[in-house]
Amino acid sequence: MISSILLLGGIGFLAALVLGISAVTFAVKMDPREQEVLDQLPGANCGACGYAGCAAFAHEITVNPEAEMACPAVNEKALEAISAVLGRSLGGSAPLIACIRCKGAPAETTNRYGYIGPKDCRAAQIVAGGPKGCQYGCLGLGTCEEVCPFEAIIMGEDGLPRVIESLCTGCGKCVSACPRGIIQLIPRTGNYWVGCVSKDTAKEMKPLCKVGCIKCGICGDVCPFDAITVSKTASAEIDQDKCQRCGLCVSACPTGVISALSVPRKVHIIAEKCKGCSICEQVCPAEAISGKVKEPYLVNEGKCIGCGLCIEKCPSDAIERIIS
Amino acid sequence: MKTFKGGIHPPEEKQLVKDNPIVDFPLSSRYHVLVQQHLGAPAKPVVKAGDEVKKGQVLSEPLGFVSVPVHAPTSGRVREIGRIVHPVTGLLAPCIVIDADGREEWAHGLPLERDPFAMSREELMDAIKAAGVVGMGGATFPTHVKLSPPKDKTIDTFIVNGAECEPYLSSDHRLMLEQPERVLKGTGVIMKVLGLDRATIAIEANKPDALRLMREKAPAEIRVEALKVKYPQGAEKQLINALTGREVPSGGLPMDVGAVVQNAGTCAAVWDACARGIPLIERITSVTGRGIMQPKNIRVRVGTPLREVIDFCGGLNSVAKIIFGGPMMGIAQFTQDIAIMKGTSGVLVLREEDTNITAYSACISCGRCVEACPMGLIPSVLSKLGEKGMHQKAVENNLLDCVECGSCTYVCPANRPIVHFVKHLKALSRAAGAKK
Repeated sequence: MISSILLLGGIGFLAALVLGISAVTFAVKMDPREQEVLDQLPGANCGACGYAGCAAFAHEITVNPEAEMACPAVNEKALEAISAVLGRSLGGSAPLIACIRCKGAPAETTNRYGYIGPKDCRAAQIVAGGPKGCQYGCLGLGTCEEVCPFEAIIMGEDGLPRVIESLCTGCGKCVSACPRGIIQLIPRTGNYWVGCVSKDTAKEMKPLCKVGCIKCGICGDVCPFDAITVSKTASAEIDQDKCQRCGLCVSACPTGVISALSVPRKVHIIAEKCKGCSICEQVCPAEAISGKVKEPYLVNEGKCIGCGLCIEKCPSDAIERIIS
Repeated sequence: MKTFKGGIHPPEEKQLVKDNPIVDFPLSSRYHVLVQQHLGAPAKPVVKAGDEVKKGQVLSEPLGFVSVPVHAPTSGRVREIGRIVHPVTGLLAPCIVIDADGREEWAHGLPLERDPFAMSREELMDAIKAAGVVGMGGATFPTHVKLSPPKDKTIDTFIVNGAECEPYLSSDHRLMLEQPERVLKGTGVIMKVLGLDRATIAIEANKPDALRLMREKAPAEIRVEALKVKYPQGAEKQLINALTGREVPSGGLPMDVGAVVQNAGTCAAVWDACARGIPLIERITSVTGRGIMQPKNIRVRVGTPLREVIDFCGGLNSVAKIIFGGPMMGIAQFTQDIAIMKGTSGVLVLREEDTNITAYSACISCGRCVEACPMGLIPSVLSKLGEKGMHQKAVENNLLDCVECGSCTYVCPANRPIVHFVKHLKALSRAAGAKK
């Protein structure tokens, strides 16, 4: 009894000694900030930063004072925390979000043949370019859902993938996985996108899909900012830098192929700066601005469509955009 | 009898069409000539809508060395540069639509009368390239590229591939039986280009009549060898291994072991190009399978609409699958609105009962695919990696050596689409490589 206790205790002591010594002699010196930075990173190891994983990037950004914030998935709060840890201000890129540029659910589209192979869009694409009638549309086998490290894409009941806006970090994994190239990253600031990338003419597309872009060009005509390019051989394309999020194209589109992020986009008048000139009231197409001359004007958020026309015209820079 | 290790022996089914003499397909009213009918760099159309073209006139110019032109199959007018489904990619691809005028006027000077054996090596190569000759077995790799090995490689073996190991098909068989001179003379021309004084014609033993005729007609320097009937006997690397015992190294090409292999149909096309200046505008195709009313071997122009070919062969009986090429490596089509191309060695129409269209299940690790693989790979492992999309691991398992012959898929009791997984992995690996 005693001997067993002594024996086991002795083995335990010896092992503890070996572990203790190796912990001291073989200790890897690590900048303690590295761990703090790593704690703030998303931890999905998605590789969108160009490094082997979150740990590799945390190391790089800690030891290299020149390193920029390359993680597209980091949120604003984490960015601030990392900046505080490293003692330098890191300008993160504008937050992005993935959008699915196809609205052709199986109910709206035709198939060319029955596909029974592996459940992976990339594999289906090899077989005569995929089973879908439209050679540009979503194959609906869920490869984007599969590769998303943040579980931000789910296959909807209609057979099309759906991006959960609150979870998407804009890492871009789905963009490179989609064999049809229908996933695009757009600024998170509430932009619009055309839910179709077909290069077919309206006549070619009609028998294949009921909801695609028919290249009518109406959106391009109504856009007050010249942000939409339209051609007969490519779906309408919204220039995200020019788009002011007025939403006129959405209501003008006859097939309803233009979508928007669900974040409401509004403007806000900074009372201290407003001189009460009433120009904003005059340009507002939604009659959302009211007030008395020479007093700060007010925005009715319920009516505001966030077109931003007032921002452009305001002589005293008193109007800003808010994402409420 | 000579052969290689591994492989399978599916039902040959050649009796449907092998005794039917080649018939000329009549002139169509409209042709859809795909601009890209070869492996390699694209070509660019050089005609425009409204142009008058003559038979054999160049329609597109190659962009790069590994590229070939296409030619007008008959005289007529270019209707438009349109788009048609490409039988290989399944996507719409540019094609030159020609309305035939029925006059069949040749482009100026054609056909020529010249002696290829009096021409220099360079002149012959130029003639082959200008004629747009590609591998006629189905792979459509430009022939002039295969005939120009780099300086540091010595070629000592030239094999003419008459194995035709794909079940159902008999186009090479009929060509060797009915036009042996074209094959043999073309072989002579390629021997001259390669600077060799001997060649081997390899034919599977299930074509005794072709073997007999070739042995009778072949000059002393061309040897005719019978091969065991086994699939894929006509695959380049297996053919070289069977005849010479040499093994093409992993990741290598036949030229690494001093060998060049050309299909019998390619040899015939080379002869036409060199002796008569006739470009590759027609080929021999087996239209066969139990789903077609009258299986036929036809001499058909490149660009002929598939619908007309099917009508010419009595129409469809009942159809589950239409395949361009053979049942093992051919490509299934989803529409009849496509056109015959340079690599269409066969049009195979299968009925429901000739196919096995069922869902696949999990690998049971039985090892039949390992036994069947002629390349000595472990297809079961590749297929499992394919399910997970693990292409790096698959490359470590010699993914890139797979010739996609389909022997593994044929024997798999779980119906696993192993070749599909391999193609998927290869595409993933290529995409990852391109990103770097």
